[in-house]
Amino acid sequence: MKVIAFVNNKGGVGKTTCSKLMAEYLSKVKKIPTLGIDFDPQCNFSHQYLKMEIDPAAPEGLMPPIHPDYATDDPDHIDWDGRSSISEIFYGQGVVPYPTYLQHLDLAPGHAEKLLAAEAVRKSEVVDKVHKQLANFLNSEDVKAAYDAVVIDTAPSKGPLTVSVMKAATHIVIPSVMEEQPVQGIYGMLQLWMQESLAREKDRPLKLIGILPNMFKQTRLHKDILKCLQENPAISKYVLPVSLSQRIVFAEIDAEEANPRSIFDYSVSHVAKQEAEEVCAYITERIFS
Amino acid sequence: MTKKKRFGVSQALTRGLSEAINVVENNAAIYRNTVVPLSRIELDPDNPRKLTINLNDVRNGLKKEDPHYEKKAEELERLKELASTIESSGVINPIVAYKLGEFYRVVAGERRCLASILAKKNEIEARVFNEKPKGFGLKLVQWIENTAREDLTLDERIGNIRDLIREYQGERGEQGITATLLKHITSLSLPQATYYLSVLNAPDDLRKAIEHGQVRSLDKAAMIAGIDSDEVRREALTACINGSSLKELRKIIAREKLVSSQPKIMREKAKRGRVASRINMGSTANAKVVQAIVQSVLSHTNFNRYSEIFSQVAWDRYDHATRAFRKLVEILEQEMVR
Ligand SMILES: Nc1ncnc2c1ncn2[C@@H]1O[C@H](COP(=O)(O)OP(=O)(O)OP(=O)(O)O)[C@@H](O)[C@H]1O
Ligand SMILES: [Mg+2]
Repeated sequence: MKVIAFVNNKGGVGKTTCSKLMAEYLSKVKKIPTLGIDFDPQCNFSHQYLKMEIDPAAPEGLMPPIHPDYATDDPDHIDWDGRSSISEIFYGQGVVPYPTYLQHLDLAPGHAEKLLAAEAVRKSEVVDKVHKQLANFLNSEDVKAAYDAVVIDTAPSKGPLTVSVMKAATHIVIPSVMEEQPVQGIYGMLQLWMQESLAREKDRPLKLIGILPNMFKQTRLHKDILKCLQENPAISKYVLPVSLSQRIVFAEIDAEEANPRSIFDYSVSHVAKQEAEEVCAYITERIFS
Repeated sequence: MTKKKRFGVSQALTRGLSEAINVVENNAAIYRNTVVPLSRIELDPDNPRKLTINLNDVRNGLKKEDPHYEKKAEELERLKELASTIESSGVINPIVAYKLGEFYRVVAGERRCLASILAKKNEIEARVFNEKPKGFGLKLVQWIENTAREDLTLDERIGNIRDLIREYQGERGEQGITATLLKHITSLSLPQATYYLSVLNAPDDLRKAIEHGQVRSLDKAAMIAGIDSDEVRREALTACINGSSLKELRKIIAREKLVSSQPKIMREKAKRGRVASRINMGSTANAKVVQAIVQSVLSHTNFNRYSEIFSQVAWDRYDHATRAFRKLVEILEQEMVR
């Protein structure tokens, strides 16, 4: 089972967009049984596939809807409130992924309040309570039996949540806009990658697929910064040869009422679809070959 | 015509990015950062540190009949101080170890291990190599570890550098070690590397004083090592042992400089009323001139017995030629007194 995460502690660089593209490419185009995980308290990724609800306990945050399999008269469900998010891993409870409109894609949604609580765990406890939980969950036999790929969307942070993603992932991609601040975010992620790489057994390395230029525009700023990264001999190996341009469709497809729902529903000749396919195919090739 | 602005990523940031990448590429398969049980720790007999106290002493207590009892008791007291900070704030830097069968052999960090045991800890954070780091790599690890520590004596540091250079030359061939190369190997600053190099080649008296802990600061040692005249050096060394500051040492050396190389400005000053007490021998960019002077003097029957001293001089090097010329003047002065 391959576990791919999109990380960058700078916000708004396309982590969710890429997670979505990747999850849909793997499940819809490649028909690989895929689990999407939303590890961001903002729950943007979840909201793409589920009707997330406002959490009465924390009105500024979202929580997952009632699970379709939940039945009040089922005696097995007596201790369950009917909602299940990925954050249950921090509370010792089972995670019940939700089906999505795509046959091969399931989703373990976020839960704002509970994820924020994990992010805020005291430093002395964080290792036991947060860091290893996601890896433990993904290593469990039923998860490994059910899915061949896991796609994780992460929060714009370097905190405990992102660290636990680093510990659980087999591959990471760093989407970034070719501008000063997002590139600084790359630095934050390379630090985490380095820490994790140096802590791992050598037979299961954390592979950095690379930096994925996103929202790329043919401006001097974007071109110069990309060139600067490509010209550095150490960094250039990790600048992906594919990229996503700034295209209004990528933003429009996020809308709740978007039709079609997936970029892969567009016609073969659509440039955005071609670009998305090229990026996803490249990453898939790197991960699965 | 205006120049188009070129955007880029700051140098500090590209350096940071490439460093992280290099660290992973060079090290990820070689060691891992982890936590090891203190019960499975062993000390490395080849460590450059000079602790007498060992694991057994710390685990089971010191024995009065131990021939090193006193030294060990002293070390134990110091370890207890470290143990109490470990109790309150833990070990800051991970130790370095490698796996040897069931055990972890400590390459760097034995004091932290011993103190952690005293602090009743069960585990310690470690960087564990998959196999014993060899030769230069091992010495480098120890060096990096040791630079972070304050309790290491100058003698121990110099010993580290010497080992490091030896291993480096062993692996890459006998090449002359320059300050720049040393800086490159150790990531010392250039001045520090220069200091270490001059101290490494220090005359015996200075070396002994360092060994005995009488000279403890690198910059003072380097300054003294750089003094050509035996007499002035001895004076400076004694002053240093007696606690002279860097500034005071500099004064002593300034006197030597007056003696050995008169600055040109002296003439002007003399004109302005100072009584000249010495003659300036001038300077030249043509080393052949110096060679010619020296050789003509040596060809004189009174002086040809000194030829041997000058047989090794590399005349094309200014420092050699300068030293040779000073030596000649020194000899002449002595001969003239007689
Ligand atoms: N290539 C693109 N072209 C146009 N718009 C894009 C592109 N990629 C992302 N966007 C839009 O930019 C916004 C930010 O993207 P996204 O939500 O994927 O970033 P993020 O890294 O997940 O943000 P956060 O850190 O807040 O989670 C979204 O509105 C998204 O639709
Ligand atoms: Mg997002």
